[in-house]
Amino acid sequence: MKMGMVIDLEKCIGCRSCMVACKQHNSQPPETWWNRVFTPGSHRHLTPPARGVEYFLPVHCQHCENAPCEKVCPVGATFHAADGAVLIDFERCIGCRYCMSACPYGVRQFNWEDPEKAHQRSEYQEKYQYGYPEDHRHEGRLVYTPLRPRGVVEKCTFCAQYRDKGELPACVRGCPGKARTVGDLDDPDSEVSRLIKARDGFTLLPEKGTKPTVFYLPPKPKEV
Amino acid sequence: MSVQMKSGLWVSGALFLAAFVVWLYQLREGLILTNMVNSYSWGLYISGLAFFVGNAAGGLVLTSSIYLFGVKQIKPLAKLGALTAFANVTAAMLIVLPDIGRPLRLYNLLLHPNFMSPLVWDVLVLNLYALASAVYLYILMLPELTGRLSWLAVKVDNPHDFSEKWARRIAPVALLFAIGIHVVTAWIFSTQGARDWWFTPVMAPDFVSVAIAVGTTVVLLAGALAYGTGKKYEEAYRTLGLIIFIATCVHLFLMMNDLVIHAWYGKAETHTIMAVAWGDFALLHVFEVAAPLIGAGLLLLPSVRRSLPRLALSSALLIAGVFAHRFLLMPAAYNSVPMTITPLGLPNTHWSLPIASGRFTPGMSSFLEQYSYSPSLVEVVILLGIMAYAVFLVLLAISRLPILARERS
Repeated sequence: MKMGMVIDLEKCIGCRSCMVACKQHNSQPPETWWNRVFTPGSHRHLTPPARGVEYFLPVHCQHCENAPCEKVCPVGATFHAADGAVLIDFERCIGCRYCMSACPYGVRQFNWEDPEKAHQRSEYQEKYQYGYPEDHRHEGRLVYTPLRPRGVVEKCTFCAQYRDKGELPACVRGCPGKARTVGDLDDPDSEVSRLIKARDGFTLLPEKGTKPTVFYLPPKPKEV
Repeated sequence: MSVQMKSGLWVSGALFLAAFVVWLYQLREGLILTNMVNSYSWGLYISGLAFFVGNAAGGLVLTSSIYLFGVKQIKPLAKLGALTAFANVTAAMLIVLPDIGRPLRLYNLLLHPNFMSPLVWDVLVLNLYALASAVYLYILMLPELTGRLSWLAVKVDNPHDFSEKWARRIAPVALLFAIGIHVVTAWIFSTQGARDWWFTPVMAPDFVSVAIAVGTTVVLLAGALAYGTGKKYEEAYRTLGLIIFIATCVHLFLMMNDLVIHAWYGKAETHTIMAVAWGDFALLHVFEVAAPLIGAGLLLLPSVRRSLPRLALSSALLIAGVFAHRFLLMPAAYNSVPMTITPLGLPNTHWSLPIASGRFTPGMSSFLEQYSYSPSLVEVVILLGIMAYAVFLVLLAISRLPILARERS
């Protein structure tokens, strides 16, 4: 079993529903976004950089097979789960931020202060709580907790708390265009494997040799 | 104890204590008190690590010169070399602590070390070097641990011969760790394929050359302050000045060599790096090149080496230039965010995916394409405090232990 995700850029409408679903379900602190959707080539989202060039790029943890973040972690807090997802043990992380530096995709986020203080600073409504409400352990390790401890690094878990219950990640469920598909990359007949083969699926920054398990399907050229 | 020594101890001790208090405050509030953000995840503290590691090379230069190359005239400085090495290598370990988000969990390094991580290698080799320096210093001091210090001495038949024999035996081991700390610290950066500025094989040899230059300067400065600049040590200082100059030239050559290759090929990433190094930080870049070169050049002049103020000023210039060099490790790696791609359909465009900053700052966007970092007051105070720690330790040891050769009058 090797978990993988395919994102069809032809179907992505850039609505950022996945960003919001991800942020809410994973109770990310203010100014922390595990999942980002931008318009490549443009400094303004939803504004094409050139006539006829318009697609959107969702980027979160690429759950690399050869993950630099996992290799540099001095205490093994970042680990590969049996299903191929790259997860962070919130009880083990010492907060050295080496992994953030080593990640070529810039997907890792640090907790610079207590979440309650961050909420106050950003003027969130008092006692406003959001996200999956309980701690979640995967392979015995704490990979999700609603209020993140100060001083640890966090990132996309492919929604470990939902997948362990047989549900799909929040971004997959939240996508109105059904642009996202998850499945087993080891199985040549799985939907993800078939899509990658049929539609020339590609990965981001292949030259870095990280072997991501998140694949993208190119959009069709636009007629202008 | 002289008045200068006393005031030096008080000032450095107070500054170290202040930094400790500020660190406790930062422990309570979190790293929000620094000016780092998600896209700029290492700042002044890690520059400090590289700086102190470099300063610790003095012991290496002296022991290797004495035992490998037979340069006997610098032998009186051997203990100072080992002492400054110990002070700086422990300072290097100390400056990492405030950079750690959860320092109380550092025991995980012992319980669950990941031996793939260059950081684990660095922790190992820094500790081994600190231990080796301390043992080496002790062996060198052994013959003089008499009188009120005799309780510190191990009982051996002939302390002088014992010291000579074991110093010779420990020296090569210490040398290995000494080179190791520079190489492994460089690997922490140069193994990061995500950062084009660091991802170069030249970094480890460059770290060794910078270290030889600045570490020797630290010993030279300490020696001149302790012994003065009289006839007796003229030969020793001349040798050190030569080592400093050669190492500085090698360092500048390695640095320029890297820049030329980057610039010649002219990848888009290179333009970003160059824009940062020669644009935003042009003046500091000029300083990082000119200051060590001028400092080392001046130390070649006998007239400079004979005057304490001139020698001190030239040394300080070199050390400051190397510090600027260490600071500039970060901006070209972090100022622009990684994940730069060529968008489909726009073959000549280079575009970076913005990163969430991780902290609320009024007037600043949540998503950053670029971030200019300058350290916060908390970071500056803590760094100064650790520098003060190194000075305090050296002064304390000099005033209590037989570090300095006794003047025969």
